[in-house]
Amino acid sequence: MRIFIFLLALALITIAPFFGQIPIELYNLDNPTTVDHKLFWDIRLPRVIVAFFAGSILALGGLLFQSLFKNPMSTPYTLGVASGSTLGVAFSIVFGFSSMLSLFGFFGALLTVVILFALTLKLKSYETNTLLLVGIALSFFYNAALMILFYLSDESQSFEIIRFTMGSVDVVGLEHTLPIVLASIGLLLLSNFYKKELKLLLTSNDYAYLKGVEVKKVNTILLVAVSIAVGICVSITGPIGFVGLIIPHIMKTVYKKSAEQLMLPIFFYGGFFLVVSDLIARNLGANSDIPIGILTAFLGGPFFIYLIMKRR
Amino acid sequence: MLQIKNYSDKILKNISFELKPKENLIILGSNGAGKSTLAKVLCGITHSNTVTFEHKILTQLNHKERTKLINYIPAKLEIFDEYITLDEYLNLSCLHTLLESKNMLKLLELDHLTNKPCQQLSSGEQQLTMLASAVLHNAQITIFDEPTANLDPKKSRHIFSLLKSNLFQSKIIITHDLNLAYKLGYTILCINEGKIAFFDTAKKFFHESNLNNYFGTSVKMIDNCIVVNL
Repeated sequence: MRIFIFLLALALITIAPFFGQIPIELYNLDNPTTVDHKLFWDIRLPRVIVAFFAGSILALGGLLFQSLFKNPMSTPYTLGVASGSTLGVAFSIVFGFSSMLSLFGFFGALLTVVILFALTLKLKSYETNTLLLVGIALSFFYNAALMILFYLSDESQSFEIIRFTMGSVDVVGLEHTLPIVLASIGLLLLSNFYKKELKLLLTSNDYAYLKGVEVKKVNTILLVAVSIAVGICVSITGPIGFVGLIIPHIMKTVYKKSAEQLMLPIFFYGGFFLVVSDLIARNLGANSDIPIGILTAFLGGPFFIYLIMKRR
Repeated sequence: MLQIKNYSDKILKNISFELKPKENLIILGSNGAGKSTLAKVLCGITHSNTVTFEHKILTQLNHKERTKLINYIPAKLEIFDEYITLDEYLNLSCLHTLLESKNMLKLLELDHLTNKPCQQLSSGEQQLTMLASAVLHNAQITIFDEPTANLDPKKSRHIFSLLKSNLFQSKIIITHDLNLAYKLGYTILCINEGKIAFFDTAKKFFHESNLNNYFGTSVKMIDNCIVVNL
């Protein structure tokens, strides 16, 4: 059954680039002079690739944050990393650094992690809800800062910021997908490298320490890696919510295995979820795309509530 | 072998003592006296430079080296992930032993629970699980924090026989169970309000006059057993 679903998902991902407002003829794909060729290689395929790898970063990043902070609610979003990134992007739009938009988004995410880290070191504990509260407070603070930027911006800048916060996997040209692909695969390899340590940390930090894990070092490496990957992701796609929260939860309920054994399924289905969301977003609207962030929240929210109710 | 010198913090005051190689220790003391705090200092969870092993500072040792020397078994099984099974948990502890977790589970009659998530085990089963993990870890010194708390008499007895066996190299046992301490007969360290109040042999500690001194009329020696006088 699981293999069947996997193959079905894989098939859907493979044919996803062919669906859209303009149908693509297969035999045009190796003919560079046709519109279909350009449409497929420059627009549709990059879009599916970005959707897949953004989804996988968000889902795997969510799983790692939940595991390391030992709280099912902590994801790069709930802790304010994505809001930090959004603020960075808005800053670059309003103050005329639009050409370095991604860089600003990336540093916004990184800055948030530095703040969170400094606070955890001060609190001397990863295992409390305090950090979650700090994350929420940070998000509010960023939101206020974002409002100031809105206030300072002109109409076209405001629109650009709003459009960014809705999220989009619109990337033109295959070469622009490279950062997100590398970040995603890098994160997967790194977390796989620390699989054993991660399993020990999933019991408790004390247990891991007694079994010889350098708790602080492993925590720091993984959290920074997630933040870098999420920073790259958000700077390209904008904040796409819910993936990091619901995909790990769904996969845990389905597989009933400890988190470190689910990294690959969560990576894959996180990507799959965004590809499908994007597919719907592209084909639902008559003349224009619905922003993908809106769709993930619309799909994810009710489904997540359904899952929680079913568990009780 | 294990030595702590002039350790003080918010709870503990000026703690110093030394254990000889192969020596076992019982730590007694009322609730909140600082027993668990001391245990966490001794095993390195609470960072301190006052604990030494053969004159090497514990927290400065390489992490692998440290696992060979000391292990700590908390009073309650703490586990975040709800799907880690008993077998997986024990396998994480297989460090310096030739035993297999399978055989350990058989020995403790837990083999029917092999694939059950640890979070769903009863508190008695969890206590046994932690003991099994201590055997598999096989550190030179294992600290047990109240290994017989919340157990039915049969399980208490089971755990007593395991503690008494030669499965462990050397032990530090924190307990409120005076009878357990008496029957094990190890050196006694008694903590009172963060200070060491007694550090000597069990024979001296369980002498009637000394017992009166510490517990007044609340405990009694009957038929070579220490019982709480209710």
